[in-house]
Amino acid sequence: MKELVDDLRGRLATARQGGSEAARKKHTDRGKLLVRDRVDRLLDPGSPFLELSPLAAHDMYGELGTSPVPSAGVVTGIGRVQGREVVVVANDATVKGGTYYPMTVKKHLRAQTIASDNHLPCVYLVDSGGAFLPMQDEVFPDREHFGRIFFNQANLSARGIPQIASVMGSCTAGGAYVPAMSDETVIVRNQGTIFLGGPPLVKAATGEVVTAEELGGGDVHARTSGVVDHLAEDDAHALAIVRSIVGTLPRPGAAPWPVEPVEEPHEDPSTLYDVVPADTRTPYDVREVIRRVVDGSRFHEFKKLYGDTLVTGFAHIWGHPVGIVANNGILFSESALKGAHFIELCNQRGIPLVFLQNITGFMVGREYENGGIAKDGAKLVTAVACSVVPKFTVVIGGSFGAGNYGMCGRAYDPRFLWMWPNARISVMGGEQAASVLATVAGKPDDEDFKAPIREQYETQGSPYYASARLWDDGIIDPADTRRVLGMGLAAAANAPVPAPSYGVFRM
Amino acid sequence: MFEHVFIANRGEIAARVARTCHRLGIEATVSSGDYLDVEAQVAQALAAGAQAVHPGYGFLSENPTFARAVADAGLTWIGPPPEAMEAMARKDHAREIAVAAGVPVVPRGEDAAKNWNGPVLVKAAAGGGGKGMRVVREEGELEEAKAAAAREARSAFGDDTLLIEKYVERGRHIEVQVMADAHGDAIHLWERDCSTQRRHQKVLEEAPAPTISAEVRAVVTSSAVALTKQVGYRNAGTVEFLLDVDTDEVYFLEMNTRLQVEHPVTEMITGLDLVEIQLRVAAGEPLPVAQEDVTVTGHAIEARVYAEDSFGGFLPQAGTATYVAWPTEVRVDEDLESGQVVSTAYDPMLGKVIAHGASREEARLALVDALDATAILGLITNTGFLRALVASEEFRDATIDTAWLDRNEVPAPDPGPAREAAAWEVFRARREEHGPFASDGFRLGADPAPVVIDLDEPVRLDGPEPRDRPAADVRSDRVEVVHQGQRFVFQRPDVFGDHAVDLGDGAITSPMPGTVLDVRVADGDRVEAGQVLVVLEAMKMELSLKAPFDGTVSGLAASTGAQVALGATLLQVEGDDDE
Repeated sequence: MKELVDDLRGRLATARQGGSEAARKKHTDRGKLLVRDRVDRLLDPGSPFLELSPLAAHDMYGELGTSPVPSAGVVTGIGRVQGREVVVVANDATVKGGTYYPMTVKKHLRAQTIASDNHLPCVYLVDSGGAFLPMQDEVFPDREHFGRIFFNQANLSARGIPQIASVMGSCTAGGAYVPAMSDETVIVRNQGTIFLGGPPLVKAATGEVVTAEELGGGDVHARTSGVVDHLAEDDAHALAIVRSIVGTLPRPGAAPWPVEPVEEPHEDPSTLYDVVPADTRTPYDVREVIRRVVDGSRFHEFKKLYGDTLVTGFAHIWGHPVGIVANNGILFSESALKGAHFIELCNQRGIPLVFLQNITGFMVGREYENGGIAKDGAKLVTAVACSVVPKFTVVIGGSFGAGNYGMCGRAYDPRFLWMWPNARISVMGGEQAASVLATVAGKPDDEDFKAPIREQYETQGSPYYASARLWDDGIIDPADTRRVLGMGLAAAANAPVPAPSYGVFRM
Repeated sequence: MFEHVFIANRGEIAARVARTCHRLGIEATVSSGDYLDVEAQVAQALAAGAQAVHPGYGFLSENPTFARAVADAGLTWIGPPPEAMEAMARKDHAREIAVAAGVPVVPRGEDAAKNWNGPVLVKAAAGGGGKGMRVVREEGELEEAKAAAAREARSAFGDDTLLIEKYVERGRHIEVQVMADAHGDAIHLWERDCSTQRRHQKVLEEAPAPTISAEVRAVVTSSAVALTKQVGYRNAGTVEFLLDVDTDEVYFLEMNTRLQVEHPVTEMITGLDLVEIQLRVAAGEPLPVAQEDVTVTGHAIEARVYAEDSFGGFLPQAGTATYVAWPTEVRVDEDLESGQVVSTAYDPMLGKVIAHGASREEARLALVDALDATAILGLITNTGFLRALVASEEFRDATIDTAWLDRNEVPAPDPGPAREAAAWEVFRARREEHGPFASDGFRLGADPAPVVIDLDEPVRLDGPEPRDRPAADVRSDRVEVVHQGQRFVFQRPDVFGDHAVDLGDGAITSPMPGTVLDVRVADGDRVEAGQVLVVLEAMKMELSLKAPFDGTVSGLAASTGAQVALGATLLQVEGDDDE
């Protein structure tokens, strides 16, 4: 496990560098801060930053093994400004000029979803050339494409979720709408520009020759057009103005659940490396994980003696009450029923849910099918799907098949979903898929047929493959699980919890 | 012994005298004001029902008229007889008495002046505190110096009699504490060295003297006792000598007929309470201690804490001491607490920090620590200067002579460590201590982000958190912090301050349609930020258009009387840093 974590840290370090050394130098030579330095200066001194999907677009858009668009060219995450949690979306102009690749769009939209779910103000640090034109068909036209960013801004603002933008570089074409759609906007003088069409386009369209600064520079927008509200001298000044703006926002209300004093786990979270086997096929007791995540290592276990392949119970994480649903083997009817019951309890009591996912799937076979495992699984899926309390999913091992659904996979809208570096995710195991497909094709013993299928599943089942495609919110060091869950819970505590209601449970 | 003593003084010395009174079961009343008014002081003493008057130092303490008025009112004067005070008050008389007592005196300078063998010191016979003093190094300057010294002496003391003495270039100030009773007995309580002076004002004082030989010690102590007896002295007094560092000769300077500011160092090494002895001998008791029983234990150093800006021309400071912390490990004689107003109406001394140790070095290091623990916010004090001085190699090696501070500048302390300490205070004031969002700079799978605090410049806090916290006042506009005794004030940036948003590009435009009333600049003129460039009249209002930053005027397009349109560019200010 330690090796997997070291590998993760290495990949993260590479991604965090952003663009090439030349691009970074060109950026800083202009007096601009690098994107993560901007985030650091925006946040309260010492504030943690829960960066989201830093490995987005990992190994995509280039030769295998290269990641030409590290972090998908945009840094997103949750940090504290003026003592409150905000969502930050910051373009990295050193990566392809900050242009939007498909994963950039997805990551930007995901950040807005998190802001929406958790009622967090959004701060956009804009420095982007707009859509990545060669891939316009995957970026521009569809429902979840570029235009959705502005749709979200309008609707977030409508719901009282503040939208703040600081224009720290280009903001061209569609990108111009990020500041324009924001509630309050800052621009950096002689650096930020906002226009629908840049000087080359203007010349082509009307023959007018105009400089970028005259067309849409800071002075123009702060004094003449009114597109921005504040003119800043440089990056640091702009970020200080944004901080000041956040200071004027109404304070969030109290958490929707009572928060108790914190007690550290009695088991050091870093000992997770020792108790969790790196190979997901090796069984272990998931309570060892729970003990290293929850306050005081205390766990009020529910129905301990029934359906024991699913561990359920109440605990606190950083003082926040949580209901934990954790796999401890394959799902049977009893475990599914127990899970559904427990999830109903949490919704009844307004207690957030934490899913520790390590599941190969529901039990198969005649006895189980005839016993109605499908309808019992459906009850669990219904309970998960209709939950109104915040849900958090950590894939701590396998995530296969319908188990992914019942354990609150990405499709079930957990507020956050993180993976451990040992995680595996696919519709079924590679071996099983190879066998099924070989059998269907009538070549049950054809190794040449099965090997590429196994290989495909091996590649696509990797957490890095998943994280690159935004199937999760990031791969985390298991030792950080408690910290990350705590930040997620603190973020979620900004939004109220509605009353529960469910679809029909098939009995 | 008295039952009730009136203290005709204020501040730390009044508190000091009262402390001993209370220890001895004597009631003490401290003067309520008019400290320089003889009649008022006597009236206060009588009204309080006191039997004796302790004058402290300064104010009326060396005023024989006051001593007589006290006696005439039927009260006991806790000090020397007025005759002795008068005899010693004049430097020329004192010199004669010293010669009669066989005490070495500075050779007369008249001869040296006649057949020039300078340098010589011209000083007022009635003087003190450096007033009317002139060092003359060139024969040609002598007459002018004498005239100037006489003028100063006349205005300061009403007496322009001058003394001319041989001037000692490198001298140490050695003084001997004496005590005499009404029974003709006089003893010395060993010597003090007060060589660390600035313009004849003592800065650091110590006992015993660190550099003198046994022979010199014997000369000064025996001379002091001889002089005391010669003048028929009673109570506490100090006999000052000048030690010529180059020749190791000592010369009598003057006698101070009162308790000295620096008396605590003598108390620390002898274990005696000088105020108690003063009270006892004033009450007619014999000296409570015999000469052979006055022993020296260890070493003591005193630092005088003043309300002054030592690194800014030593200007006296006034204001409210918003926060005051005195050291607790050493003796402190003070009368300043948090919230107290310090005015320039009185002596700028706020208190004295006195460290004692088995050796001089031990005492010195203890004093450094004590000055580090002395923290006064709200106004500037000389504590940082004292701290730097006590920590210096020169003071450590006892090479500071009486003119050293007049020749040398103590470098102002580096603001760097103070700035970092201030940044830590800003961080501590606002950081999240607990919870998942605790301010530890957590980053996913990476080292924590550095903490950067914006003060007058960004401060990166990447070292370990300092355990000791400074005295500090953190406000949104500035941070005040004391580091090693020195008070620093660091401004915090104002995001919406006028340094930024309004700067524009230097084009001065008409904000309204109107008439130019006045054009105050011409092309090529240098202008400063805020300087009025053009005055307009518009909508019955006069508008002054000012320079947004320092720069040079160009493109002037406004003339007096001209009508200008809204937004018309009247002139341009080219910033200094424009490319």
